[in-house]
Amino acid sequence: MDRVYILIMGFLSVVIVNNFVFTKFLGTCPYLGVSGRLDTAFGMGLAVTFVTAMSGILTWLIDFYVLVPLGLEITRYICYIVVIAGAVQLVEMYVKKFFPMLNKSFGIFLPLISTNCVILGLCLFINIWGTDNLLEVAVLSTGTGFGFAVAICIMAAIRENLILADVPDSFKGAPITLITAGLLTLAFMGFTGMIR
Amino acid sequence: MSKIKYFIQQSWLLLVTSFLFGLLIAVADAAWSAKIEQNKAEKLRGLMASLISDANSFELAIQEANLPGDKGRMIKTDIYKALDKQGNCAGFAFVAVGAGFADKIELVVAVDARCEKLLSFNVLSSNETPGFGNKMKNDSFRNQFKDAPAGKLLLVKIGDASKIDNEIVVISGATVTSTAVINIFNKSVISVKEQLQKKGLITANGR
Amino acid sequence: MADENSVKINYLAALTAGLWRENPTFRLLIGMCPPLAVTTAVKPALTMGLSVIFVLVCSNLAISLMRNLLKPHLRIIMFTLSIATFVTICDLYLRAFQPVMSEILGAYVPLIIVNCIIIFRAEACASKNNVWVSILDGIGSGTGFTIALCIIAGIREILASGTIFGIAVMPRGFVPWAAMQMPVGAFVTLGLLLGLASMLTTKRAS
Repeated sequence: MDRVYILIMGFLSVVIVNNFVFTKFLGTCPYLGVSGRLDTAFGMGLAVTFVTAMSGILTWLIDFYVLVPLGLEITRYICYIVVIAGAVQLVEMYVKKFFPMLNKSFGIFLPLISTNCVILGLCLFINIWGTDNLLEVAVLSTGTGFGFAVAICIMAAIRENLILADVPDSFKGAPITLITAGLLTLAFMGFTGMIR
Repeated sequence: MSKIKYFIQQSWLLLVTSFLFGLLIAVADAAWSAKIEQNKAEKLRGLMASLISDANSFELAIQEANLPGDKGRMIKTDIYKALDKQGNCAGFAFVAVGAGFADKIELVVAVDARCEKLLSFNVLSSNETPGFGNKMKNDSFRNQFKDAPAGKLLLVKIGDASKIDNEIVVISGATVTSTAVINIFNKSVISVKEQLQKKGLITANGR
Repeated sequence: MADENSVKINYLAALTAGLWRENPTFRLLIGMCPPLAVTTAVKPALTMGLSVIFVLVCSNLAISLMRNLLKPHLRIIMFTLSIATFVTICDLYLRAFQPVMSEILGAYVPLIIVNCIIIFRAEACASKNNVWVSILDGIGSGTGFTIALCIIAGIREILASGTIFGIAVMPRGFVPWAAMQMPVGAFVTLGLLLGLASMLTTKRAS
């Protein structure tokens, strides 16, 4: 029971309290670029969750069973990025073949994801946190992707309404999005201390 | 055979550059890894030395002792014995972890030779709210712990911060962080004292 | 004679493009993660900026040397591999000689690998131009990025703790704006600066 509690708390913490976009500033590039409309944002969020879950688990496995025992920690960054790039390729091929409808909603995002900071950031943070069992890694990875999806969907919903607001010309687009994101981080800060 | 030829034709550059890059990294690693290890060791020693003023050198008392950490987990930490110039025990120092308001708090703690009084502490890493919980790093909060009886600390809302006793005045607006720090001390110092006593490293006259 | 001049102008253009006209942070809006993450103080921002310049120059150099041998479908992985190598070297260097900064920057040093700026410059410039142009382009973009980082960090550090580079510059009665140290400050400062940059651009154009 305790184990499950830790897992649930871990998931919630990574989605709400330590959201990767709002507290760690990862994934800002696609965040700014893709949050214009709710349906594209949702597609991106879904794709990212997919890829983070896979990459988190894969990179942890490689680190745990190959890099550390063999003392090859130096190659960690290279291994991680190659695995991530490979995982994205694989997911892309798989989705194209078996889920063509899903592929349509992902669009061009899937290839773009490999340069998304969230994925490499997640793998590195799992490494830094010293997580030591596979289930926790799986939950944290999925949670991070999910947190990104939540963040980007909220932003898309807000931006869709912002179009109707009276924003000064030079602030339209990225600047107002960033300021909105800042206010969102403030709101999410209210969740700190929720999990002990 | 032609498949292999095709493969090599396509990827020879990849293989050659991988090899070259690997070489570059290996050279950099060989050149600098010693310094990196040295930095790591120096960092902890520097922190511990700043906490125990008499300390001249440190030796490892217990390696990988089990201490209560955050989220109900046990963590492994090394307990160091500080030796003064005459080689007598000047105190013990170790890294303690506890659950804070936002995230875990890591402290470097120094206790006296009998493991009864706190000498001082420093914050290794924390993520507490700036302006509130972050004030635990200020001298005004930290000085309350000098010579305080370890393991018996009590948090009070109003009190005299300059009086040295087991009452610690809470940081206004940061009750959770203050409680976290007190708990880290109370829990971990007791555990450290037990383990040191078991190994016979604490003696009556503090040598 | 004219040929030599045009070559010289080309080099100068490569160097100065990254400073304003194609400034990665303020104009191209790429590589936005570090400006938010490491700008709590000027020193980490400067360290990050210099690291990015190092990686940009080295990887541009490597890619440019290889540009005629690259197979089109292996391009991206070649870029990624070379960037990852130089970031690893940079990280080792920082951990050896700047341990304090290395700890403050933490995971953001390896995140330079996925920094859009570097891949973008490799694709747009290094894979198509000779070695000298590539190097200058790397220096230019990297410097533009560093300047942007330092501006943001300067604002945040002054308001958050009244210091620059650890030296107090605000009067004693100044109450620090804790919000600047937190994510809120990062997003809002960057947003306001981008708005400002956009205003300046439209003013110049009209």
